[in-house]
Amino acid sequence: MSQEFKLTTVEQMEADQARLRETAAQVGIDTWQDRVKNQTPHCGFGEKGICCRICAMGPCRITPKAPKGICGATADAIAGRNYLRMAAGGAATHSDHGRECAWKLYDASEDGYYHVTDASKLLKLAKEWGVKTKDRDIYDVAHEVAELAINEYGKPTGYQRWTERATEERRKTWEKEDIMPRAVDREVVTAMHMTHMGNTADAEALVRQSLRCGLSDGWGGSMTGTEMSDIMYGTPMPHDTEGNLGVMEMDQVNIVCHGHDPAVSEMIIRYAEDPAMLKLAKKVGAKGINVVGLCCTGNEMMMRHKIKMAGNFLQQEAVILTGVCDAIVVDVQCIFPNIGPVAECFHTKFYTTSPIARIPLSEYLPITSQNAGEVAKKIVKEAIENFPNREPGKIFIPEHKHIANVGYSCEGIKSRLDTVTNSRIDDIDTYKPLIECVKSGVLRGAVAMVGCNNPKVRPDYSHIEIMKKLLANDIVIVATGCAAQAASKAGLLDKRAKQFCGEGLRRVCTLADIPPVLHMGSCVDISRMMLLVTGIAKDWGIDTTQLPVVGCAPEWMSEKAVSIANYVVATGIDTYLGIDPLVGGSPQMMQLITEGTKKMVGAGYIINTNPDGLVESIIEGIEAKRKALGI
Amino acid sequence: MRRLFDCVFNGSDQMYEKARKDLDAAIKKYGPDHTAMFPDTAFNCAIILEYAGIEVKTLGDLDAAMNGTIKEWMTKEERVNDVFHSGLATAMAAQVIEAVKYVDDPQPYKGEYHGHMTDAEVRELGLPLVTKDIPGFVVMIGPAPSDEEARDMIKGYQARGIFVFLIGGIIDQAKRMGISMGFKVRIVEVGPEIWSVSHVVDLVMRAAMIFGNIQPLDYWGMNTYTLDRIMAFVNAYSPVDDLTVACGGGAIALGFPVITNEQEELWKVPKSLIIQKDTRDWIDTSLEARDIKLKVTAMDIPIAFNTAFEGEIIRRSDMYLEAYGSRTDCFELVTSKDMREIEDHKITVVGPDFDKINDVLSGSGEKVYEPGGSIQLAYVAEVAGKNMQPDFEPVFERKLHSWMNCLEGVMHTGQRDQIRIRISKNAFEQGFRARHIGEVIYAKIMSEYDSVVDKCQVTIYTDPHECTKLRHELAEPIYNARDERLALLTDEAAECFYTCTLCQSFSPSHVCIVTPERLGLCGAVSWLDAKATNQLNPNGPCQIVSKDDCVDETVGIWPDVNRAVNEYSHGALEAVTLYSLFKDPMTSCGCFECICGMEPATMGVVIVNREYSGSSPLGMSFAELASMTGGGQQTPGFMGHGKHFIASKKFMRAEGGIARIVWMPSHLKEEVRAKLNKSAEELYGIENFTDMICDENIAASADDLDAMIEFLTEKGHPVFGLEAFDF
Repeated sequence: MSQEFKLTTVEQMEADQARLRETAAQVGIDTWQDRVKNQTPHCGFGEKGICCRICAMGPCRITPKAPKGICGATADAIAGRNYLRMAAGGAATHSDHGRECAWKLYDASEDGYYHVTDASKLLKLAKEWGVKTKDRDIYDVAHEVAELAINEYGKPTGYQRWTERATEERRKTWEKEDIMPRAVDREVVTAMHMTHMGNTADAEALVRQSLRCGLSDGWGGSMTGTEMSDIMYGTPMPHDTEGNLGVMEMDQVNIVCHGHDPAVSEMIIRYAEDPAMLKLAKKVGAKGINVVGLCCTGNEMMMRHKIKMAGNFLQQEAVILTGVCDAIVVDVQCIFPNIGPVAECFHTKFYTTSPIARIPLSEYLPITSQNAGEVAKKIVKEAIENFPNREPGKIFIPEHKHIANVGYSCEGIKSRLDTVTNSRIDDIDTYKPLIECVKSGVLRGAVAMVGCNNPKVRPDYSHIEIMKKLLANDIVIVATGCAAQAASKAGLLDKRAKQFCGEGLRRVCTLADIPPVLHMGSCVDISRMMLLVTGIAKDWGIDTTQLPVVGCAPEWMSEKAVSIANYVVATGIDTYLGIDPLVGGSPQMMQLITEGTKKMVGAGYIINTNPDGLVESIIEGIEAKRKALGI
Repeated sequence: MRRLFDCVFNGSDQMYEKARKDLDAAIKKYGPDHTAMFPDTAFNCAIILEYAGIEVKTLGDLDAAMNGTIKEWMTKEERVNDVFHSGLATAMAAQVIEAVKYVDDPQPYKGEYHGHMTDAEVRELGLPLVTKDIPGFVVMIGPAPSDEEARDMIKGYQARGIFVFLIGGIIDQAKRMGISMGFKVRIVEVGPEIWSVSHVVDLVMRAAMIFGNIQPLDYWGMNTYTLDRIMAFVNAYSPVDDLTVACGGGAIALGFPVITNEQEELWKVPKSLIIQKDTRDWIDTSLEARDIKLKVTAMDIPIAFNTAFEGEIIRRSDMYLEAYGSRTDCFELVTSKDMREIEDHKITVVGPDFDKINDVLSGSGEKVYEPGGSIQLAYVAEVAGKNMQPDFEPVFERKLHSWMNCLEGVMHTGQRDQIRIRISKNAFEQGFRARHIGEVIYAKIMSEYDSVVDKCQVTIYTDPHECTKLRHELAEPIYNARDERLALLTDEAAECFYTCTLCQSFSPSHVCIVTPERLGLCGAVSWLDAKATNQLNPNGPCQIVSKDDCVDETVGIWPDVNRAVNEYSHGALEAVTLYSLFKDPMTSCGCFECICGMEPATMGVVIVNREYSGSSPLGMSFAELASMTGGGQQTPGFMGHGKHFIASKKFMRAEGGIARIVWMPSHLKEEVRAKLNKSAEELYGIENFTDMICDENIAASADDLDAMIEFLTEKGHPVFGLEAFDF
């Protein structure tokens, strides 16, 4: 049985990419691999975080001979400011995505395009926030909840209300360290203000604001994004789908959705199922309409629907290079501007839909609550009509794909845990079964694998190799973003992947009927992970920082990742990074982000660009946490 | 706090030391070439054979196993891998200890304990394991807290068919309580000390080799086989020493959960190591932990239950009582609940039992029920299960019809709140009472749907007030919710249709095609029911019919529908349309709720429901109309269908739709009024369409045809705007 199951190797994935690059060469277009070559070596000052271009006296660069900028800013001040600006950029990005989701809920109506799908989740949140629900129309409740969420972005006083969900100890720590997040917009503005020429030069203060700004994301904007999306589009529950480039269909209309905010893709899914559209597809000779996802929009789609996932961040050009992408629709974030030029070489139609992400060579169709359905319908229709325009000579679809069992929201995880309880003794709807596995040693701990792809390391290799080593050591993995997709592509989201686990995790997977890597969603959904660790800590009766649980971003690249890393650390979870965080030029900053934050919030970064070394340190870190707990 | 892994590692060391000591002494006494064989087995020392790959013949072979695999597997890294291997190595070491005993004496236990089990005994288990007459094995390691409790637990397992192995002090307890033991009675007194557990593990190994063809050294093959197929578990009474914990590690490696009352919080592992302080609850806790669902073989009822009685008819003269949902408030309902709200196998009767029905008085003191007459009756089965879905409720509920009919002396027709039940005088005299309805429903649900139902309780109501109240407050909202869910589904939106061949037992060539807007003609199988039936039993009566390549959406022609009816009618039918009364209409089995027939004078149709006993403007009653079709025949112009199909927008859409309906019994009009009006408004913009339809008050027979035409004309019935039927 399981002996036949094989993972797809990174070498096989690279071979697929190489074959697609032949098509790129044939049509005369560059891909990221070409551009990496052109950009290497990177600017050393930039990599070390000691190039300051905040004012026009510079740019100033720090060297042993020139240890200060013109204003006198040291390497510590410059690296610290650059670091905080990255965190602020990331927090702004996640949070603004969350705000858009809240607005969609605010606009939701029975007969509009956006609806309340998970009413029980809405009612639970309404209760949590003291919104009246009795004898009220569900949409009235939705609008009041949405308004409260939107107001969190600009509240003049007080702290993020989501933080009330954290453990008592966490809240005390945040108060004591004065990093309890205020209004989301304010934390970003404060960060920009602090880093303006002539303001904060104290690295520790910059790191503290990074934590606070991060918290306004993880325990603010991102959580808003996740919760609002679940209410509108449904809370993900475990189900099977598929992942990797092999999901592109030769005989169907392929529409690729890329980006992060599911507001567009949800509409595309709806209209791709419209009988009239299916009829039209058949008319042009297609057997059906295959909507697939890329990047975090792909994650959002696959978590809630049976929509397949075509690839992660670095496959966005590849998906067009298959020659069968009839339309690519993007919303926001992580979209290569090169999508335009690549699409130009093929029949592929390229649509941008958000004023946040305006990209040349695309057709811009801004989507709003009022026109979403119409725009989606137009896109689906044009994609279908574009099906006959494919050029046979440019077509190659790699065969690799795997079954992926996904949908592990906190609710989804608990639903599986409930199945291993014993009704004679146990409660349901808790994390206790998981805690028992960890306490007894059956599972050693858990790792949250998150983050992007980054060609500074061998893409996907770090994700997959680290995961395999962790699984063999009975460490269960929760994953989001491009990390989850790397697992999907390799086959680690297939339940049969339990054969690569140690016997403890293997047995847990069998009994709970889960894959060893649990896909929790998009990068915004790292807020789910915060609720997961908080829920576990509460059910256990300890603080999050004591748990044998760590975060790992082996291939991170975006500013969002910096923001995430900050809130994960602030939540008490050690974070293992496989890419230098661009502050190497400042010994003080390096000390602050690895050791300094430990004193403030009980956690910090562990950095190692060698994946083998990184995974060893993760296992050591988890065993050290166990030892401290006496388990 | 003692960490679980430390206890296992410590215990496996202790077992190894004991085995080493006993083996060294034996080798010293007999030499390494001395035979070391258990009697009557072709798989000597099967644990060592399986995991070490050594065919043990001599003490020297045992020594080789000790120095090889057994020692090598007792590693102490903090991983389950090490715990499992140490646990299995502990079992091998225990086997060495026992093997040495049999070297000293071919009958070391002198009949006091059973010890080694022969191959013949292992093979005896084959058939009862397949039939699940033995649903599982328990290894009880004692003593229990008291002799009485030991007896109750052992007898409790025996009563459930569980094979019991006893080890340690619990054997003395069983002896003191006079329990008869032995392999035949399926209570085996294995041995006094923990290492005798190796005899049980050895039996498991041989069972896997004999029945599962598992080969030596196939570690994963063996451990997967035992986990998936051998439903064993361990009950270990506190205090549990490290030796026992180490053996427990081996048991868990094989997939056998250990249930104990040892209070070590750090030990709990879901479904594997379960701490249940209430030792008296161990049977239920253990069965749930090992996912053992007992096969209910016997029902506690005084009359026979057999499919042979399904077609039995009970005449009025033979009838002790009748419950008739068309006249009074009666109903049957299956509904799901949370696991915690259900007490498994609880049967409750609310109201007087069948022998006390004459005592029921109305508010004014009059007798409500007369002997040989009608009573009100309702029964509600509440089910729970981790895999239960609300969509399955109506599926189980429809089965009640067949189960009730299998009772000798009980007749059941209809469904929901339209049931009609007759109980014969004979059945009553044999002692059939209200609670037996519950026993039957419980037994059948638990045996037929054990894949989704873990618990079930049944309440039977004979109290007329409760029947009336619950019909309206409990049952109707649930029926309506189910219907409403269905109302949102359309044929266009459905991903597929389903066949239903449930009634092929008596109508072998009939096939229903069930769509969201056209439920089965019996009224009992909606599209959701069919979907659930398909999920529960993919090879069952409801098969998926794809909607690809629609030929004609108005008439309802799909190539795969035709393929399906041809296949499942075994060639009797070539084609059916889903929406036409004249072109290849769908066939009927005979159990339809309504029948519609063409009325030539108006070019409309008359619909008569089963409950209506009078004639119609066609000059025919329901029974006469029904004889026109049925039995899987296609009779253009006549068609059986469910009540809900009347208001469907797909009702004879090919011929103009519901605008063709010219006559229905007034009762039926009221039943379908709301939905029919809504459909007519949406289809034609006609308000209160039902009022335009004639009934028996205007035209009760063929003689009243003119009155009907006059009525329809006066109302401006839309049928006159339609073209004549195209035969």
